[in-house]
This record gives sequence, C-alpha cells and structure tokens, in this order.
Amino acid sequence: MVPITAKFQSESALHPAALALLTTLFERGWADPSKLHQDSRRAAILLQEARASFAGILGVTSDDIHFLGDLTLGFHLGIAGLLRPEHVFTHSSVDRQEIFAQSHAHALRGGQTQTLPVHPNGQIDWSSVQSGSIATWQLANGETGVVQHQPPPEGHAYFVDATASGYSHPLPVNWSTALWDSRSWSGPAGLAVLAIGTGAEWRNPLPHLDPLRISDSFSLPLALASAIALEHWKSEEAVREQQLRKIRMEIVAFIRDRITDVDFASDPEQGLTELLSISFLYVDAERLITELEARGFSVDSGSACASLNLQPSHVLAAMGRLTHGNIRLHLRSDLTDESLSAFLTALEEVVKQLRQ
Amino acid sequence: MMEIDARGKLCPLPIIELAQTLRSIETGSEVVLVSDDPATAVDLVAWARMTGNEITHQEKERFTIRKLAN
Repeated sequence: MVPITAKFQSESALHPAALALLTTLFERGWADPSKLHQDSRRAAILLQEARASFAGILGVTSDDIHFLGDLTLGFHLGIAGLLRPEHVFTHSSVDRQEIFAQSHAHALRGGQTQTLPVHPNGQIDWSSVQSGSIATWQLANGETGVVQHQPPPEGHAYFVDATASGYSHPLPVNWSTALWDSRSWSGPAGLAVLAIGTGAEWRNPLPHLDPLRISDSFSLPLALASAIALEHWKSEEAVREQQLRKIRMEIVAFIRDRITDVDFASDPEQGLTELLSISFLYVDAERLITELEARGFSVDSGSACASLNLQPSHVLAAMGRLTHGNIRLHLRSDLTDESLSAFLTALEEVVKQLRQ
Repeated sequence: MMEIDARGKLCPLPIIELAQTLRSIETGSEVVLVSDDPATAVDLVAWARMTGNEITHQEKERFTIRKLAN
C-alpha cells in the first residue's frame, strides 16, 4: 500500500500541544469535580479555568458553557430544549442531518416544521419564514464552507450550529443556544461545547429532576485538552490563515487552468478558508477517491457512489450543484509545496483517466 | 425521439451516456433519458447549467433534454 503523503479528510490529529499534555491531564483531572475531596476540588478548579478559557474565546460567559461527551446529544439539548409543541421549528435545507432528525421528531409530536430553501450560492432564503419560529442558524456549512452573509432575521429564537466554523465566526447577537465541535480546533473527538444563553427560554428536554441542569456526561481530561488545543489554535490563527489562503488559491488556480467541466460548490473566493468542495463532471467519485488514495492522497466526498446509503449529499442537491464526481478538501497549513504540487498533478491525471 | 434507458445504473453513468448520445444528434433536437438513480434529477440540473443544454420536460424517471450546445 502506498503511504499517505497528504491528508485532506475532515478528521485531523489532536493538536500536538494537547497531545503532549494528555497523560498529565488524565493524572490531574480524574476526580469528580462536584465532590468535596482535595482531588475533586483541584479538578473543579481546572474545570472552571477551562470554562473561562472557552468562554473568552467563544464569546459567551462561563456560566453559559456546558461540556458534552456526544455531539449529537448537543443538537438535541440545544434545539429540543427551546422547542414547545406550539412552536414552528424552522431550519434550512443545508443543515446537518442531526437537525433534520430534530425536525422529524418535532413533527412526530404534532409540531409544525419548515425547511427553508437556499440560493445556488448557499445563502439561505428567509423570505418565507413564519414569525416567532424556533430556528437554526448555521454559521458555516461543513460540506461546502459557505458562510451566511446576512445576520439572522429578528423575531426568532436561534439554535446556532457552530460545529464547522469553530471560534472563527462570532455568534449572532440574538442567539439562544449554540453548539461547537471540539474537533474543529484540533481538539479531541468525543467532546462538544453547548452554550445556553442567560435569556434563553430553555428547559432540559431529557428526563430530569432539575429542568435547568444538564447532567455531566463528559471526560474532564478531554475538556481540558480541548481548551489547550483551542488556545493554541487561536494563537496560531494569523500564520495558519495566511498559509491556508495560499494553498487554497494555488489549488483553485490550478484547477481553473488545467481541468475543464468543474463545479465549485461555493465561491472559492469566499467561505471557510480550510474547505473546498469540487465536483468533476462525468467522473465517478468512488473511483476518483480510490485512485487518489493509491497515489498517496486521502480526500472526502459528498457523492452518492462514495456514501454508504448511496444518496447524494443533501447540501449539494439543495444548492443545485453537481453531486457526482465530488471531492472535499480539508486544507491543512502544514501541507508542503511538494505535496501540494504532487497532489494537483495526480488530480489532473486521474480526472483525465477516468473521463476516457 | 431517441431514448436512453439508464435504469439500474448509478451516477455518473446516466449523465455520461446522455453526453455521449448528444454528440451524435443535431443541435436543437431532443432525447429522453430514463434513469432511476436518485442523483440524476439533481445532477441533470447542474449538468444543464454547466454545459448550456436544457431540460425541457420531466415526468418521474423520464427526462427530456434539448441539445443547445456542443
């Protein structure tokens, strides 16, 4: 098997600064922070410090922050906690599957739901939204990198999906709940951050004794590791963004120059710097991915033939983009010029070969 | 009218067969593509936008396409 020389898939390794401290964090953060023992008090202080660190970078207060061991649970707590049976639940056609699942559950309980269409550029069309909705607001799309240009309309309570954008895009002023994925800043998997705003009319949708509390279902050492990763990720932002922009521009220029019949899922000059979603007409994505892998490059795809359920990406479909021959490139700033050049050459060759 | 039966074939095969057929017909004439692949309806719209051709009619799995460009 050819060793992988450049990785473009969505998952990335834990940030080296967090990885280096992982054992220490497990040594110090094993005790239950809610108890009164000496070790517990020390754990409680560490947890409080992590909370303050997250709050400062994510633009919320420490009291708003809750850690969860499961991202999907975060969607449920963040959305169902705001929804009452009489509410209209409004989301967009490019939201994550977890949000469609919440919409489905609300409809099963007799609630009213609404799916907003998107323009071909991925901007959500809010013209038909019903007043007083509980709505979702996606800061950035994790498949296409599209960032919404306009702030969310007033008069609705928002669950903000910040899982793809990390800390890089601030919350809109009228947010009620918000969710982040630790992996978006090179933090550990298995950790999500949920913020519940002080003014939000939120109730715990799970069986509970206290409607305003969330049970602690997370690993303290991982939360601490995530805080360290986030702090480093932010401090490296300027250098990283500059490198990412350079890599991105080089890829876009090469493809525009050398490969015909290409559909960029979003305007390459806008959106998340680290993500490019590109479809090649008349190309089988499964074979494209396999051929690139055989040459040492790992990429993701939103095409039906490359997915387990054989359904094309609902995001690309909603935007009217080409769903076959799709690859998603998650760019990393440590990609060398040699690797990038080798990847682009391989991409051109493989696309040409598969079109014959 | 010429008909391409691409039932049972997955993306991108129906679109590839359509493009191959279009090469052999006159600009302005139409073909019918029959495809049960869930990606075809979406991809045809994108294909028409990218290549400058037109979808003139759709009825379930039957798509009528007019060749407007080479």
